[in-house]
Amino acid sequence: MLTAKNVSKTYPDNTGAGMDLNAVSDVTVEIPDNSVTVIVGESGSGKSTLSRILSYIERPDIGRIFLDDTEITALRPSELRKLRGKVQLVMQDAASSLDPHLTAEKILAEPLKLLLHLDAEQRKSRISELLGVVQLPEDLLKHRVSELSGGQQKRLCIARALAAEPQHIIFDESFSGLDVTLKKQVLTMLKDLQKTLDIGMLIITHDLDTAMYMADRIYVMRLGRIIETIDHPHSFSDFKERYSQELVKAALYKRNAIQYTANGV
Amino acid sequence: MLSKILRKPQAVIGLAMMLCVLICVIFAPFLAPNDPNKLDILHKFAESSDKYPLGTDDMGRCVMSRLIFGARASMCIALPTIGALAVISTLLATLCAYTGGIIDRIFVIVSNIFMALPPFLVAMTLVGAFESKAFGISISIAAAMWVWNAQVVRTYVLREKSKPYIITCRMSGCTELRIVLKHIIPNIVPHLLVLYSTGLSSVIIMISSYAFLGLGLETGTAEWGAMLVNADKLIYSHPEMLIYPGLCILFAAAGFNLFGEALRNICDPREG
Repeated sequence: MLTAKNVSKTYPDNTGAGMDLNAVSDVTVEIPDNSVTVIVGESGSGKSTLSRILSYIERPDIGRIFLDDTEITALRPSELRKLRGKVQLVMQDAASSLDPHLTAEKILAEPLKLLLHLDAEQRKSRISELLGVVQLPEDLLKHRVSELSGGQQKRLCIARALAAEPQHIIFDESFSGLDVTLKKQVLTMLKDLQKTLDIGMLIITHDLDTAMYMADRIYVMRLGRIIETIDHPHSFSDFKERYSQELVKAALYKRNAIQYTANGV
Repeated sequence: MLSKILRKPQAVIGLAMMLCVLICVIFAPFLAPNDPNKLDILHKFAESSDKYPLGTDDMGRCVMSRLIFGARASMCIALPTIGALAVISTLLATLCAYTGGIIDRIFVIVSNIFMALPPFLVAMTLVGAFESKAFGISISIAAAMWVWNAQVVRTYVLREKSKPYIITCRMSGCTELRIVLKHIIPNIVPHLLVLYSTGLSSVIIMISSYAFLGLGLETGTAEWGAMLVNADKLIYSHPEMLIYPGLCILFAAAGFNLFGEALRNICDPREG
């Protein structure tokens, strides 16, 4: 279980106007091991900051992060590195989140070597397995990131995260920008992976359709706070808070707009 | 890599020009038809002939031999100088930019102070302080130019450091040292190649400028800059005495520039 307890994060105002930004305020969330948790909210609601805190990229100003019984926020950097593989982050822009001068093979080999300490032979067979899991052909291994398509880059990001054999994977707006067909493929693949690999997933998104398709639990976030928690959502009527209902209305409006466009209206 | 270089005309031309200069540097004693310092007053300003392919200068010395040995004199100072510059600038700027905080702020202040001084003035001040002329020239150029290179390298490192792939590297278990050595430096190498290859041409020109100002190697040394100085009084009577060393400096500088630019396009995956 990955847990954030009463976490707050404030970014100082660099303009000198004294308007510090409270990105996350007193947030408590629990990300269970074998389920999909989704955090929804509009842009600027603090979702990405929370994802960076949960993946130990940033330290919270106040509050504590636990991975099972270990308090992450109390660890020194060297101790933290040992736990690095347990929580992996998949970022929004796949192209810029992979080292452009490396080949796909080297990108996948790095966590296998540094986190799992596998030898060359073991790495090779594990890389083949990972490519099978994310449905990428083996001949891509010798290609650099810039030579791959957007969908292939996204799958490579997921494979790299899986290579670390994590307990949790956090997807920070990782599916925005994908076309509908590709998004469906990737989400279905993740759903299958979650079940077969028994990992906990946290999906950060502003897309309620993605949330409803994937989630075992949904947190609705607004202005740095969690305003609603929905366990096992079945329909949009499960959203009770006023702000959540506005998000639902926006999602339905978008869905209708797509429908009208599809019907040529 | 070699096949990519051979497919790019700009790289092939630059490489060929560089190789010409380097062949002259290494095989000067075998390529030069005569002793570059042998005086033959009776044959001064001789026309081109089998013995003197580009004629002789005002002291009857073989111009072609002096040009070939001139490459050796220029490059033997320029290459170690640019090597020292590259190591100092890259290490210092990468360390300061990646560490950030107070170390980076001190670096910025010190480099701003150095940048306030014109590089040529710094070099001229220092060059006389050393007994060995070649060593003095090398040290003074390195002292004058390191800050300009280091500032550029710092900008490259800061830009790379802020890219999202650095977070991914941490997620993959990289230590800070590994991020610098395996990810940041390889990603800025294409830019460094351009920086230092164009820097090499600047150093070649700077060495020649020293000679032109009378601060270069010992009088009479077969060196392109010194040959330009000796020929300045012959501009109307024998302009070729100026044109030959001038063309050599241009040729060497252009070769390194062309190759550096082409190599950047080849190495940088974002520029295909």
